[in-house]
Amino acid sequence: MNKPPFILPGVLRQLCPALGFLAAIVRSLGAEPTPSQLQFFENRIRPVLVQNCYKCHSDQSEKVKGGLWLDTRDGLLKGGDTGPAIVSGDPEHSLLIRAVRYTDPDLQMPPKGPQLPDSVVADLVSWVKMGAPDPRTATVAQKARTESSKSHWAWQPLRKPSPPAVQDSGWARTPVDKFVLAKLEEKGLKPNPPADKRTLIRRATFDLIGLPPTPAEVEAFLKDESPDAFEKVVDRLLASPHYGERWGRHWLDVARYSDTKGQVRRQREDPTYPFAWTYRDYVIRSFNEDKPYNLFIIEQLAADKLPASTRNPTNLCALGFLTVGDRFMEMQNDIINDRIDVVTKGFLGLTVTCARCHDHKFDPIPTKDYYSLFGVFSSCAEPKFEPVIVKNLGGPDYSDYYKKRMDLEQEKDTLEAKLRELRRKGDREALRNTLRDLRQNQTRVSQLELTHPAAPPRAMVLEDLRRPHDSPVLIRGDAGNKGPVVPRQFLEVLSGGYRPPFTNGSGRLDLAWAIVSKQNPITPRVLVNRVWQHHFGEGFVSTPDDFGMRAEQPSHPELLDYLAARFEEDGWSIKKLHRLIMLSSVYQESSANNPRYAQIDPENRLLWRANIRRLEFEALRDSLLAIGGDLDPTMYGRPVDIESEPFSTRRTIYGLVDRSDIADVLVNFDFANPDLPTGKRHDTTVPQQALFLMNSPLVIEQAKRLVALPEFQACPDEESRIDFLYQRIYQRPPRPEEIKLGSEFVASAPESPTTSNNDAAVRPISNEISADRPMRFAQLGPQGRKGRGVMRKRAPLKSWEEYAHALLQANEASFVN
Amino acid sequence: MGSDNKYIRDHSPRLEDLFVTRRQFLQRTGMGLGMLGLATLLGEEFLGSKVAAEEIATLAPKAPPLPAKAKHVVHIFAQGAPSHVDTWDPKPALAQYDGKPIPGMDGLAMASPFKFEKKGKSGIEVSEVFPKLGELVDDLTVIRSMYTDIPAHEVATVFMNTGSTRFSRPSLGSWVLYGLGTENQNMPGFISLRPGGTPPGGSSNWQASFLPGLYQGVSINTKAPGVNQIIGNIRNQYTPLDEQRRQLDLVHQLNELHSQNLQKDAQLEARLQAFEMAFKMQTEATDAFDLRKEPDAMRDMYGRTPQGNQMLIARRLIERGVRFVQVWAGGWDHHQDIEERLPERAKEIDQPLAAFINDLKQRNLFDSTLVIWGGEFGRKPVKDRNGNDNPGRDHNAKAFTTVLAGGGVRGGSVYGATDEFGAAAVENKVHIHDLHATILALLGFDHTKLTYRYNGRDFRLTDVAGQVVTPVLA
Repeated sequence: MNKPPFILPGVLRQLCPALGFLAAIVRSLGAEPTPSQLQFFENRIRPVLVQNCYKCHSDQSEKVKGGLWLDTRDGLLKGGDTGPAIVSGDPEHSLLIRAVRYTDPDLQMPPKGPQLPDSVVADLVSWVKMGAPDPRTATVAQKARTESSKSHWAWQPLRKPSPPAVQDSGWARTPVDKFVLAKLEEKGLKPNPPADKRTLIRRATFDLIGLPPTPAEVEAFLKDESPDAFEKVVDRLLASPHYGERWGRHWLDVARYSDTKGQVRRQREDPTYPFAWTYRDYVIRSFNEDKPYNLFIIEQLAADKLPASTRNPTNLCALGFLTVGDRFMEMQNDIINDRIDVVTKGFLGLTVTCARCHDHKFDPIPTKDYYSLFGVFSSCAEPKFEPVIVKNLGGPDYSDYYKKRMDLEQEKDTLEAKLRELRRKGDREALRNTLRDLRQNQTRVSQLELTHPAAPPRAMVLEDLRRPHDSPVLIRGDAGNKGPVVPRQFLEVLSGGYRPPFTNGSGRLDLAWAIVSKQNPITPRVLVNRVWQHHFGEGFVSTPDDFGMRAEQPSHPELLDYLAARFEEDGWSIKKLHRLIMLSSVYQESSANNPRYAQIDPENRLLWRANIRRLEFEALRDSLLAIGGDLDPTMYGRPVDIESEPFSTRRTIYGLVDRSDIADVLVNFDFANPDLPTGKRHDTTVPQQALFLMNSPLVIEQAKRLVALPEFQACPDEESRIDFLYQRIYQRPPRPEEIKLGSEFVASAPESPTTSNNDAAVRPISNEISADRPMRFAQLGPQGRKGRGVMRKRAPLKSWEEYAHALLQANEASFVN
Repeated sequence: MGSDNKYIRDHSPRLEDLFVTRRQFLQRTGMGLGMLGLATLLGEEFLGSKVAAEEIATLAPKAPPLPAKAKHVVHIFAQGAPSHVDTWDPKPALAQYDGKPIPGMDGLAMASPFKFEKKGKSGIEVSEVFPKLGELVDDLTVIRSMYTDIPAHEVATVFMNTGSTRFSRPSLGSWVLYGLGTENQNMPGFISLRPGGTPPGGSSNWQASFLPGLYQGVSINTKAPGVNQIIGNIRNQYTPLDEQRRQLDLVHQLNELHSQNLQKDAQLEARLQAFEMAFKMQTEATDAFDLRKEPDAMRDMYGRTPQGNQMLIARRLIERGVRFVQVWAGGWDHHQDIEERLPERAKEIDQPLAAFINDLKQRNLFDSTLVIWGGEFGRKPVKDRNGNDNPGRDHNAKAFTTVLAGGGVRGGSVYGATDEFGAAAVENKVHIHDLHATILALLGFDHTKLTYRYNGRDFRLTDVAGQVVTPVLA
């Protein structure tokens, strides 16, 4: 994969100027070799290197060993994992010489013998002594690699392209449309006609708040014939507090959010993060406030460094972005790696952690850049106690909390003292017991913090160490194999030539500034792509967390740049970005199929129609509850149980996420894996999704509630009942054939339904907490149960209930089109 | 409509009856969108009709093109990368060099803390951490020369299951299901069992990718306490089965009307199949996953542990004709404390897997079931310097061991070898693509010919690589 020979001729032609340039650099590195020196090299050195070294240390190698290339002068001087191969003029300090001499048992080359003849070794020594004259510049393949990696679109400076000219200027409402239309016209395609108003308001409402519009909202929109009717809808939705719950969840996917720690030694450590939810709430709030995205980034990396956080400690919760990751059995290097991963994939769309053990295989990210960022995060630590962010301490509840917490602290101190004592004595049995007691003490602290109504919320902050330090490169990721120390600084590829070392403490704030800097074009591109993806089902770049060289070309590169540039101009406002996109004709197209177009562009990359999208689990569950009138709109707060009966009827975003044991219903519906930043969820179709819709009491109870509604009961006839259900569930009236199907179904129902097949009736089936699931709602106490629904009896369904249930199962309720 | 319902009401809800209504539904709706999917549901009945069989994605059982013994696969995924030099690949040289540098390598050698002993007639050496599997060594083929591309868990895990490190590709189980269909039309043909949590790579490991959705693996969390929790919502507590059938027919009709204005979308098609499979699973799967139906002695033989339960479920699934069962048995990422933690992991699977093999033999299923145990890569022979005082081993893509047993596999044999220290496979090296080619060969496929056309190209599990390792075939 390292060798793309077939593209070389073309690349070579393009590179001619660059070739000269590189040659100039090489020459400037040392004195020009004399002709006789070059002759010596060609006759005595080059053949030796080719015959004995190139197999493992050149561009011809199947796999380059030790990161060492011996086929260029640069390669020799730069060296491999263990340092430069030669020190010009100094054979005694040149690893290459040491290796071929076979005097060091750990460094012998060629590795499996035979040893090079003494005469050859002597030649090599003389050659190094004379300054290792070497005419070999980078090989063509290497240059092709570096050059094409330099010209990769994603890190080119951001310009704002002018919208192209189009033929059908009537369709193009916004500049966005012109970019889309130009591409369509290139292929001789026309965009679909606009979606009808019902479809449109449904699409916009699900997109922005993750819920269906109410029949009244639909009615109002239909009646509003003013030209800005849709604009008003979009603005209303953007102002809804539910907006943050929808888009905050998209961000939590990227932030690999979880309420638990993942890999910990459970015998010794409680796996709960009692305050992760304060980060979740910060995210929801930030989206609702339309916090400028650059500020959103800065806060999540370095809120503790901002003066504003002194006034508003709630901002400190932003640091949860860094701290809610897996704990990896407390392996610090892995924790740091996870933080580098979430920062670089999340904000920059780059897989920087690939460079932990070797230079990135595809992107120009050397290992030393990874360790530049590593130094930032290894200069930070979590404080022993998370800071309290709400200062309303007082009252009887608080006294109760305070006393309990103090008692636990005291118990902890006693146990720790005892532990030290026992360690001295070496009493293993008692030691084990005390450790167990300590662990239980920890769980009680976690549970108290997570459930006591007066437990003050705290922020999961990260703080700088008093003495921040640069990190050495860890060769091949091995902590015991330290290479050169590298300064804390930003990635070279995104620095635009200006790359000062980070000096402000750990450098988190410097890093944040570099990420949002004008010099760095990738940050707005990545964000714009994410937003577009959630509106259209697919981004311009189909791999939202990887804009590197392995990513496919963007479908609309100019539009991506235009939007990114506009986004910066508009003060990094995500809400303005939504408006710009949604008020364009391309957003408002219908999803109707066109068989001919589907042949030409089966994936709809050119956007000749709207994509049909399945609702994510959150939107599906929330909309079912909303349709049944059962949704509890309470915002914010500690996590709730959405998994077992009686179900919480809060929005799904408030459900507890346990990364070590994700609720099955979430897994079945392709929930984002909280162990990795996830910009795009899987989209699978499996029987368990059907089982949820067919059999879950949560779903069936909504059908029953619908039919119990006074509005339904007041309907005078079958037709109006069916109409009511359609309006409520699908936001449209039924078609005649649908009315016919409905009435036939209801009419032919058995007269007295029986519950024949189940012994489990009238018994909740999923609230048994098994012993091996320690972190679950059994322990969340009254707080976890707050906002829960009530247990309902499993009364057999009446024919209308069964019909309503069928409507909830049908595809139309699970898809946006 | 009315008469159909009467028909159902007058009969007990046997599945055959339900299929009759499916066919009637087809006729009524003029075979619109649902045709292909419904044809699939009708499976064998429908193939005789004028619709060309090869155009239809189907779960109906098919004979492989070549003779083969193995008909089912159980892939036990030892995720986390088990250390081969502590389990199946003894390296006495490590004891000699213990604590000293190994020539040509970074780091200090670490002797295996475990003893190896010759077992069975074949005298293959097995680590003491697998006492029960050791007894069965004459049934096993131990491939000691496995290697892979990238020593990172998620990438390598997905690679082992899909043959791709970069792109979304169908999983091994999906390919097998596509090639062979499945014997039980009331159960998913490809089931993935996990004891809680999700493995790295999640559903990529059992995905159908561009293969039709019905070849997707169905992931089941076996940690739940009872069958009603193992498959969430498997029972409807409100509506009797015959009534539910009538309701589901209505749902299909509603979907048909709904989709008339939309594209004939593969996802909608897959949904129809998912609902039908869900309906059938309500009766069949409840039974398959209900371990209370096993005698006590059997449960004790497997061990009443998460892995014991998983292997027993796997046997119940194989018995019911499920084509491919993936069993997640991970936790092998031992960077530290290997002496303490590796035996725990080994113990988890030793008894259940041995019981499973013995049980298959007793039921005459061993010869028709290919059993695979292995991880995504191996570990280094040196101490992991990131570890603490109780050392472990770091990742190693150049060497690991995979064990095969059952259908068509030559038992009691070792294939390939690593170097003196177990640092790299050197003799008869077997790449992931080679393993995949071999698995397909054991099932009766030429891996270069099991292809699926997508985006104008014929794709296969082994991409453009893969050599069948013939010596491991019996």
